[in-house]
Amino acid sequence: MKQLTISVCLASTLAAAPLMAADANNPEAQPADYRAQWHSDILTGYQNLEARSQTLAAQAETYCKTPSSEGFEQTQRAWRDAFLAWQRVRFVNFGPVKRGNLDWQFQFWPDSKNLVARKAKFLLKGNTAITPETITESGVAVQGFPMAEYLLYDQDFNKSDKALPAEHACQLLIRVTDHIANNGETVANAWGDFQKNYVENDQYTDLTIRAAMAGIELLEERRLAQPMGLRGTGKRSVYSADAWRSGASLIAADATIQGLQQQFMPAFSRLLKDHEQADLARRIAEQLDEAHAKFPELDRPMGPLLTNDEEFRAMQSLYVHVSQANVLLSDQAAAALGIVRGFNSTDGD
Amino acid sequence: MPELTRRRLMKAALAGSAAITFSGCSVLPGRANPHGPQHYTGAIGLPDGRFAVGAVAPDGSLLWQSPVSTRCHSGCNRPKTAEVVFFERRPGWAFYVLNSKTGVRLHRIEAAEGEHFVGHGIFSPDGRFLYAPANRYEPGEGIVAVYDSQRSYQRVNTFELNGIGAHQIILHPDGQTLIVGLGGILTHPDYGRIKLNLDTMEPALVLMDRHSGQILGRFRPSRHQLSTRHVDVAPDGSIYAAYQYQGPAHHLPPLVARYRNGHYEEIDLGVSVHQELGNYIASIVAHPENDLVAIASPVGGTALIFNSRTGEVAEKASIEDCAGVEALAGGDFMVSSGRGKLIRMGKGRPAIEIATLPVSWDHHLV
Repeated sequence: MKQLTISVCLASTLAAAPLMAADANNPEAQPADYRAQWHSDILTGYQNLEARSQTLAAQAETYCKTPSSEGFEQTQRAWRDAFLAWQRVRFVNFGPVKRGNLDWQFQFWPDSKNLVARKAKFLLKGNTAITPETITESGVAVQGFPMAEYLLYDQDFNKSDKALPAEHACQLLIRVTDHIANNGETVANAWGDFQKNYVENDQYTDLTIRAAMAGIELLEERRLAQPMGLRGTGKRSVYSADAWRSGASLIAADATIQGLQQQFMPAFSRLLKDHEQADLARRIAEQLDEAHAKFPELDRPMGPLLTNDEEFRAMQSLYVHVSQANVLLSDQAAAALGIVRGFNSTDGD
Repeated sequence: MPELTRRRLMKAALAGSAAITFSGCSVLPGRANPHGPQHYTGAIGLPDGRFAVGAVAPDGSLLWQSPVSTRCHSGCNRPKTAEVVFFERRPGWAFYVLNSKTGVRLHRIEAAEGEHFVGHGIFSPDGRFLYAPANRYEPGEGIVAVYDSQRSYQRVNTFELNGIGAHQIILHPDGQTLIVGLGGILTHPDYGRIKLNLDTMEPALVLMDRHSGQILGRFRPSRHQLSTRHVDVAPDGSIYAAYQYQGPAHHLPPLVARYRNGHYEEIDLGVSVHQELGNYIASIVAHPENDLVAIASPVGGTALIFNSRTGEVAEKASIEDCAGVEALAGGDFMVSSGRGKLIRMGKGRPAIEIATLPVSWDHHLV
């Protein structure tokens, strides 16, 4: 491939070490080695999602058979465990999770038109039985964690006569959590089967790093900066966050950070070190550690933190570390590895 | 605009001067098409996160910049007038009619109830009718909406494409046939840009009579997930279609097709080239003066020129975030990028950076 002729004054791109080139510090390391580790680490994450989703589905059924306030709380806890398991692998935006839009099925968000509530009201309006087919045919706003969250946490809904453990609401909860569990099993199995293609094809190195970049950018921009009023209108609003109904917005952010730490960073740190970027690897890990260290103190609903300047500062500190990690990963590490996320390359048009 | 992009743009703006910096030559080459304006107009993202439509004059200066409320995608020049039309990016709720010499906004035309534009349009040869692909989003039907520029862009007709996901539209040299890339992907504004039908896509290259709306031809790619988005036509009537593959990244199917003399065939540029293109093509342009066709992929950061007769790759260059392609007088091409760069490519010569502006060029220059 011919190189561009670029004048010296414009040659601003960093000297990048292409991902497919031999590694400077470890000439024996093969790109497939990193992918083998990523595959294994992400598989662990998907298997955890599968297990937690099955627990949620079983708990929903148990609760609806013999409803109790204790059973309701247990179901809420099961929802939260499964939802956080999803947050840990949410950054993976390629491969089997794209088949049938499984990622969107797990979590339809942002939901600017409040489709989840609208769909729930529609489904609970009549007495028509809610079958697995109902869920399959009702679209992504019905098929995942936000719908189960609505049934378990929405304050207005829970005051209504349609609230759990009403028969129809229970039917919807059981069908939705079954759907989540089936999808959890599907994606875990499919990711396992994906191993050969993933490990043997170089383009998945680039895609995996881009996925982590997109995941941390989403966390910084949409899940934190937006509700904190740091973007757009400047108005703080918990409704811009995900999982606001359950108050799990911040602990979900922590789960995403942990997912990056456990399922992305081990292989990525090794890759960076092999490309003479050990210091960068250390600094990214440090920022993720600092962000994670804000928990469990910050395991609280985001809403009250947005209205109290004193408390808001704790969230700002989390945001700063996430933002720093994003800059180090998406700007510095990506540039050093020759990865570009651009105006058009993420556009899809 | 994502903060990452904004931050990068700010850095680019700070690192360079606000003026164009040249390397290689001091003026932009002329267009291959001598009938249209000699400047280039494109949708742009600005360093502060706002959006505009902007034009670069032949002397390399920014001729004008017209602010728009949301990101635009592509547009078209109105023949025999000083008007240029630009469409909001999908889902586009409006198009803008601008004075192509000054950038002054003349009209902002909103999409009809229940419809949105998809970023492209083309005029009839006399400049009267504007044909704009659109999505009737509740039923998910692709249409071509027809507007009469002589009646303040009133909507005057609607043609059914009998398919989903219309994207680029161009006019055949016969002046009568519309050529439409039908991407096949179902979306709905309630669900953002989620692709709702990846398993059941039916993309196609569609030929349509521009007077009656009658469909004259429909050609399907070899795989149902080869989203047929972008199209171009050579003066001899050969039609080119460029795909964006929606399947797994390790599949490396053909990404370009040609329709000529009644035959629709895909051009295999080779697995390694398909890999470099990231299974994605943002623009395709057939040069009117020779047998060369240029494509650009921002996903792969690769632009290349191939021989339309043989399918042989004639030139290839790594260009970060490249997307737009224009044919230049003399047989070369110009490629624009999200990094504000304009780069000249031609057969048998290295790619040359002509200019850089502190803006992000969106996919297409017109």
